Amino acid sequence: MNFLRQAAALLRLNLGGLSARGGSAVTILIGVTCTVGVLVSMLAMGTGAHRQAVGYVRDDTAVVTSRGSNGLDSSVSRDEAATVADLPGIASGSDGKPLVGHDAIVVIEGHRRGRGVRVFFPLIGTSPIVTAMRPEMHFTDGRMFQPGLHELVASNPCVRTFTGFELGARRAVRGIDWTVVGHYDQGNNMQCLVLADVETLMTAFGRNTFNEVVVRLKSPGDFDAFRAALEANPAVHLQVKRERDAAEERFKGFRAILNFAAYFVGAIMAVGATLGAVNSLYSIVDARRRELATLRAIGFGSGAIVVATLVESVLLSLPGALLGAAVAWLFFHGMAVSPFGFSFALDVTPGLAEIGIAWALVMGFLGGLLPALRAARVPVTTALRAT
Amino acid sequence: MKYLPLIWSGIWRKPGRTILIFLQVAVAFVLFGVLQGLKTGVEHAVDAARADLLIVHSRLSLIMEGLPVSFLDPIRSVAGVRVAIPVELFLCYYQKPEQGVLSVAVAPDKDWTTAFTFAIRPQDLPAFARSRTAALVLETTAKKFGWKTGDRIPLICRTAQKTGSPNWTFEMAGTFTDSDFGGSGDKILMNFAYYDEARATGRGTVNHFNVSVTDPSVAVPVADAIDRLSANSSHETKTESIRELAQQQVQQIGDFDFLIRAVVSAVLAALLFAIATMMVQSVRERTSELAVLKTIGFTDRTVFLLILGEALAVCILAAASGLGLATAVLPIAARFVTGLSMPRITLVIGLGISVLVALISAAVPALLAARLRVATALAER
Repeated sequence: MNFLRQAAALLRLNLGGLSARGGSAVTILIGVTCTVGVLVSMLAMGTGAHRQAVGYVRDDTAVVTSRGSNGLDSSVSRDEAATVADLPGIASGSDGKPLVGHDAIVVIEGHRRGRGVRVFFPLIGTSPIVTAMRPEMHFTDGRMFQPGLHELVASNPCVRTFTGFELGARRAVRGIDWTVVGHYDQGNNMQCLVLADVETLMTAFGRNTFNEVVVRLKSPGDFDAFRAALEANPAVHLQVKRERDAAEERFKGFRAILNFAAYFVGAIMAVGATLGAVNSLYSIVDARRRELATLRAIGFGSGAIVVATLVESVLLSLPGALLGAAVAWLFFHGMAVSPFGFSFALDVTPGLAEIGIAWALVMGFLGGLLPALRAARVPVTTALRAT
Repeated sequence: MKYLPLIWSGIWRKPGRTILIFLQVAVAFVLFGVLQGLKTGVEHAVDAARADLLIVHSRLSLIMEGLPVSFLDPIRSVAGVRVAIPVELFLCYYQKPEQGVLSVAVAPDKDWTTAFTFAIRPQDLPAFARSRTAALVLETTAKKFGWKTGDRIPLICRTAQKTGSPNWTFEMAGTFTDSDFGGSGDKILMNFAYYDEARATGRGTVNHFNVSVTDPSVAVPVADAIDRLSANSSHETKTESIRELAQQQVQQIGDFDFLIRAVVSAVLAALLFAIATMMVQSVRERTSELAVLKTIGFTDRTVFLLILGEALAVCILAAASGLGLATAVLPIAARFVTGLSMPRITLVIGLGISVLVALISAAVPALLAARLRVATALAER
């Protein structure tokens, strides 16, 4: 108890005298602010990309692909697709038909607005039933494509990010003009998705197999029964994943790269800022040698001095952490970037701010260790005798 | 020069502080070196990519959509085309799916190597062209899997053979290296004729054609002429040099430019403050010493330069060691992007920035030292 009271009294003394040592405090503040700001902004790329990658996902939807494939190289024959539609657990639409959609994916090129950078993105041929399967999809402009016609509908992020998706715009794909007839939003999806009628698209590309079959289940709980029935069927060579798992899997590698970059840069900057904090705290301790010696002489324990200095160091790093997170949010939240041809908005979340603050507290603690020990070891007699 | 010992002793007046500042500056320049090195290294690699090697691919996509192999003869008849080689890419793996190997099927016609970025030993070429099942293996791939020339290599591929089997076996005829930008990853070269004949699906189509031109200056008109051949057909082509392709790859990661600049500025801002406060602190502690120097005849200007010299020495030495470390670390990053290296210009810019940082951050403390009044300074004692 006595120890804590001593430490508290010392801490008050330390913080009270800070104004006289403003330069050192500001050095710590700026070092921590820069580090946390950079770390949080870079991690925000990962969360932004993730939010976008799973933004369209429904929990009651599952994706069927050929076994061992990862999406684009999957091929599901018409016979197999028909078998899937008869499996148990699939929800029915208002007209009694099973909610099963067939997708064929081709890749087309687009050009970003502004600099005209070329980006490849998927054109998804899908069944018209998709509007019933995804009620969160609604048209902000125009209408749905009509089966059999060379028509495209684009999600609004496409219209914002790329050229050539205005209503009525024509895009040449496979020597045929396709007309953009609608713009839509889908939940909180930020991804550019372009849809066309799957049969028309497959005819244009001379294909006869789908890439994947998407099924809407009666409830998320029906997934296991559906999977068991699919795997037990000897007529098909298919696998099924929850839509969320499929999206997460595709995204895993990309997120690992982004997070590695963020933590790599964040760690190097943290080392630099911690060194700066050590230096600043050393000079604070040095400037107070006589004061500390006096305190020791009148009976303050060295343990209390260590604790008080450490707490001071941690407290000094806190405002920098908050400021850094705030700067990241103010300047970078919602900023659109498109590394590696992906395009997404940075997303600064409270969770990232917490990581930044935790990072700063560790920096403060490590930075305070050595100076705290020096403060506790100030030799009373020489320090008091020195001028 | 005669002031060097004085600067040196000033630097080591408080060794702990100097070492910490030194480390802080060094760490900052490691980061600067790695980030800036990545950026300029990539730019250099793009400039080094060949502009006279054209890739003819479907307008729809780089590799996803095929082209009919019948395009070969019209392309070969375009004036300025030296060699045109059909290329098909397909994915395989060795033993387990994690060990992916890209199979590049090429037609080893006359002078075919001029249309690729591969370096192949001349003595391996005839063996590769002669045997239908011969394969050349990327040097790093051969090393990774322990394959030797003459070995039979069993691969499991996404494209099945006519028999329905996904197993393909090749005889290793030699190794090659690839200087293409971003040309990392395991791969082998195989004979297109054998592949086209043996595959179950997609016969008669290729991913793209590689074209080399007779003279680099005609690359652009040749590309346009090739694209005109298929204009308005159902298989429109797009012909680009591998330098253009590399440029596009770089543009796609372009937003990292902004990030690199933001990170580097944040690091430098923090550094400026740290050095400035430390130097001010140091000058304050040395008030009486500086006053003594002035008493024995040092001018204000000399004292100003002394303090500046201290900051310069520490910053330049620390920056040099930081940049040195970054140069040593960068080859690790170069494993992911072939052709990456630390260009000398980055080192020069880094040292220049370290001088600027030293001058700016030491300006205020040096001014304080120069303005010191001897009488008041000594009276404080």
